[in-house]
Amino acid sequence: MVKFTPLDWFWAGAFLLLMVGGAAFFYRLARRSESDFFLAGRGLPWWLPASSVFSTHTATDTPMWVTGVIYAHGLRGLWYTFFTAWTAIASFVSARIFRRALAYTQAEWQILRFGGLGAELLRGWMAGWQVFMNMFVLGWVGIAMGKVGSLVFGWPVWVGLVIPSAITAVYTLGAGYWGVVMGDFLQGIVAVFAIILVTVVGLLAVGGASEISARLSEMGEAWRLDVFAFTGLFSGDFPAAWWLTMLVIAVIGGFGMGTSIDWYVEAQRIQSAKTVRDASYGLWVGGALTLVRNGFWAAVIIAFFVLAPNLTSVADYELGWFRMGFELLPVGMVGVFMGAILAIHLSTISSHLNLGALYFTRDLYQRYINPAAPERRLVWMGRAATFVLLVGSFFYGLMMEEITAWLIFALWLMMAGIWLPNILQVIWWRFNAWGYLASWVANLGVSWLVVWILPAFGVFPPLPDYVQFWLLMALGAVVFIPATLLTPQEQMDHLVRYYVQTRPLGWWGPVRREAERRGLIAPEEKPHSVGRPLIRRNWTPEDAADWSREDWIAIVLSPIVYALIIIGVARVLLGQLDGAVITLAAFAGAWLLYWVIDPKLRAVSVEYEVKQAGYLEDLERSVRWNSGVPTPSTEE
Amino acid sequence: MDRGLVTLVGMSIAYVASCAGLVFAYWGWKKHLGPDAKEEEEQ
Repeated sequence: MVKFTPLDWFWAGAFLLLMVGGAAFFYRLARRSESDFFLAGRGLPWWLPASSVFSTHTATDTPMWVTGVIYAHGLRGLWYTFFTAWTAIASFVSARIFRRALAYTQAEWQILRFGGLGAELLRGWMAGWQVFMNMFVLGWVGIAMGKVGSLVFGWPVWVGLVIPSAITAVYTLGAGYWGVVMGDFLQGIVAVFAIILVTVVGLLAVGGASEISARLSEMGEAWRLDVFAFTGLFSGDFPAAWWLTMLVIAVIGGFGMGTSIDWYVEAQRIQSAKTVRDASYGLWVGGALTLVRNGFWAAVIIAFFVLAPNLTSVADYELGWFRMGFELLPVGMVGVFMGAILAIHLSTISSHLNLGALYFTRDLYQRYINPAAPERRLVWMGRAATFVLLVGSFFYGLMMEEITAWLIFALWLMMAGIWLPNILQVIWWRFNAWGYLASWVANLGVSWLVVWILPAFGVFPPLPDYVQFWLLMALGAVVFIPATLLTPQEQMDHLVRYYVQTRPLGWWGPVRREAERRGLIAPEEKPHSVGRPLIRRNWTPEDAADWSREDWIAIVLSPIVYALIIIGVARVLLGQLDGAVITLAAFAGAWLLYWVIDPKLRAVSVEYEVKQAGYLEDLERSVRWNSGVPTPSTEE
Repeated sequence: MDRGLVTLVGMSIAYVASCAGLVFAYWGWKKHLGPDAKEEEEQ
């Protein structure tokens, strides 16, 4: 147990008061409309979604998980945390496309991309899944806070589960997404301060970075500073094949929507940004901050390993970061550290409360129960859904702790089976609603086969996770590709409307030609046209809407910069000279990325913003099944 | 705990929620754009 002085209580209490007080300030803004309650009126500058992406990605269980992999694997464990890098490509591809679609949720996007009954079923399917998922994540994160409360104060686990979440619900109920995103900004600042502070104190406790390196060498553990310390191509507990699989899942997944479970949360941040450019930068910077954070955490966990190298139980060493903070910080600062822990907890809880309520309100209540509901009714329904999610999360946290562990594994399988369809739905015009729905349904049966039935009958032994991923993907494709090709393509009118509004990347040739034939968009600029500079920096809004060399440079450069960030920060903090060089290279790469893509993003935003009001009117008529705009089925 | 059982139970819970949403969607589509809506229009 940790001893709290009155000063510590003051800091922790002041932070909570600030959060709840902020809700009163934003209450008036949130109650204006559904758009305000769930998207802060779609008017946020990039740095607010960015801080929200960072804060939401930082949950109470995140330092436990990162500590676990770094303690077990050394710096190579950073690659486990590199799953965040889906935002590298997504910032410049799927975020841009999703922001232009204007859908409140991924479920709503389904009926903009696909049409007819199939699209509608997908919307309901995804909405039900997301309402459940958010409740489940709330219980999962809540239990982690319960464990921290037990460690720090000796409280029963339910206290840490219920009380912080209930406090969070106060400002989320009152101020909706305004409260979430403004809270995330403040929470992000407190969390960053604490993360830096604990890293500095932890490194000094060992005697500085050079001492860590020397002590690791003495212990015969110098490999822990090597980020590429593979145990073989396919063998050992860190094979290169796993690393490559992870890179593909994370980085290439950025072309799709939903390839990471975090996509659904960040989709709300993308949509709340005031322009396409703000959406891209918000996601990119949020992802980059998360990787910087991982670098800081990794450095201090290596220090923790040097101080306590013989812990064998995961339950013991996964609390390493918390122990460093509570045991090494001076009196008075422990309260700030506790405030930071509350910050990272509150930001995650508030985000999932509001997001789960959004899926329920927009995709189930408004769409299927009361399409004519006025704005005030929708805001109140959002509040009611928030409350129900809160109570449901207590149930999951307290009563179903074991099932929670089961679900974490099950969710990995679910994401593996629908990884490729999540990309295809964005980049391939011919992929249809039935193919996508088939992939979800097939995934259940295929997972049982691969993970359970076939190994049980001795067809093959239990497989490593990375092999399961590729096998699940291949077997899923055997179902969803024929399902797509044997069912009719989406109606061309629907596809053309979607294409003109969102301008997706990939294989959209027939739709593009039809849009050009109808005079809805201008013919594409030839890539080798005379007088075109290598990097074009003057764009007309119309040209900028097409995908060009500059976009592909961003797509390639962005993940490289991310990798340089995470490696560079961790190694420079541990006193490695190459870390400084790598960090400088990351800065240079980020600047180059900005220089190449920013003129284009500005022009895209200008081109799109003038049309946005009209598209929004169409969307609102559509959600109310109003025939004023062709809804998915009325044209079939 | 056997991994297969974990998969069975865990995924089933998640899929039940999705199926509930799917039923909602079918009901909504039928009411607003499907056969029920056409009957109402004819009346």
